[in-house]
Amino acid sequence: MLTKLFEALYNKVFVNIVVKRSSTDVYIELCSKNGVIESEQNSFDTQFLSGEIIDFVDSFTKESPYYYISILDISSEQGAFPTCSKSRFSYFYDVSASEHKCVNDAWTFYTSKTDIYEIEKRYQKIGVDFIFSPFTLLSNFFQDKITASIAMYVLMQDGFVSLAVFESGTLLYAEHLDIEISGESEDVLLSHDESHEEEDPLEDGIDLEDIDVIDDMEDLDDFGDIEDLDSLEEIDEFSEHKDIEEELYEAEEQIVNSDDNDFNEDYQRFMLIKTALGHFYKDDKYESQFIENIYIADGVGVSNDLKHYLEEEMYLNVYIRHTELGIELSSLAKLELN
Amino acid sequence: MKYSYITPRKKTAFTQEIQLLLSFFTITILMLLFTYAFLLYKNYTFVKDKKSTLTELASLEKSFDNMKASISFIERQQMLSEKVYTQNSVLKDSITNLFDLVPLRITLSEASLLENGLILYGITPNKDVYNFMLQAPLRSIFHRTYSSFYPAQNGWLRFVSTNYIDEEEELNSED
Repeated sequence: MLTKLFEALYNKVFVNIVVKRSSTDVYIELCSKNGVIESEQNSFDTQFLSGEIIDFVDSFTKESPYYYISILDISSEQGAFPTCSKSRFSYFYDVSASEHKCVNDAWTFYTSKTDIYEIEKRYQKIGVDFIFSPFTLLSNFFQDKITASIAMYVLMQDGFVSLAVFESGTLLYAEHLDIEISGESEDVLLSHDESHEEEDPLEDGIDLEDIDVIDDMEDLDDFGDIEDLDSLEEIDEFSEHKDIEEELYEAEEQIVNSDDNDFNEDYQRFMLIKTALGHFYKDDKYESQFIENIYIADGVGVSNDLKHYLEEEMYLNVYIRHTELGIELSSLAKLELN
Repeated sequence: MKYSYITPRKKTAFTQEIQLLLSFFTITILMLLFTYAFLLYKNYTFVKDKKSTLTELASLEKSFDNMKASISFIERQQMLSEKVYTQNSVLKDSITNLFDLVPLRITLSEASLLENGLILYGITPNKDVYNFMLQAPLRSIFHRTYSSFYPAQNGWLRFVSTNYIDEEEELNSED
């Protein structure tokens, strides 16, 4: 009773930390009962907990004892699988060394216990209250979409790609990929795909003959010239309140001239999505169904080329929705507290 | 926890600063309460002392009155005693004088002092000795003197002499 009274008297501070490839974004929200009073975001050029980050966080957390620090898990040994039955866990993944959580009695997300311990140790100076999986963030972000028919949902982070396939709110397939690690094995994957080209269910729909970024960069330049195949009918399929937002985002993206590095990264992302989709189709563990739509939560600012790749090469309907990972983490933390 | 791998740390409004502040206020309030209790106690003892002092004062006043009454009584007793002493001295002198009046040949057997008189019983060898040696001085002192005789076995005479002093004549003589 007394605790609730004090809780009502104080504002809540939500500190949300997103670790990127070479920097750390810290987004802080100061919330009252009526909503967000103040918010501030700062980016620090380090992956570790520096004095600057501590000072920045402390400047807000000292205002209220009710502060919650959330971190987005970026460990490579994380994922999700479509069951909550412990007896079936081993069928998908050995979770003996992992922390796992079941969602809606339908699917489970997991991460390495060592990585959680490492995060807690790394941030012990400021403490950690929540560690969220990118898959929960993805499902929460596309809450209005995952209950519909089957589609792939992708969370684009700086250096990471989290993919999930949902059908009617149920997860069918998920994978978390590190672009750098996955990029190293890309050749192997490509050659693997090519060697199994005849077995690939995408074979009929996607012609990969012209795609060889490493050997032929000129072909990649052509991707920028590919006409936008988005038709108005396709846009109408998306919920109306998101159309304007996404169209504006596309317009902004077209203005931005992506450099070679972004271009390469987008291609890597495209390859990862393609490979993951191939796994989904091929792996017997998963109930593979044909995917027509792909929803991308863009937390890094992908170029329009990625959309073109996916549309041109994989014949997918691509919908990109920009997301601020810090804000999404904050909303997850609020959900946890409620 | 539904989405997070870990549970949040327990949050409390009693931060170190708040605890310090509460300690300060608690100590201050305790000191005020202690001071208040001390003042209440002092007030209680003061009222109690005042009451006992008033009672003592009343007792002393009463005792003082008693003492004054005693002093007055003692003074009166002293005055009375002095008066009695004076009277006794006068009486003693009178008796001494009386016995000085009695000649050697007459023997008194009894003497009764009255308020305004004297009755003497005795034995005399004869009436003349009595009349000349005792009755004459008695008549000079008393206004009225009555004598009666009756014979004794040895031939002497027993006598009873009744003498009175009249008040009116006394006052007149004083005037």
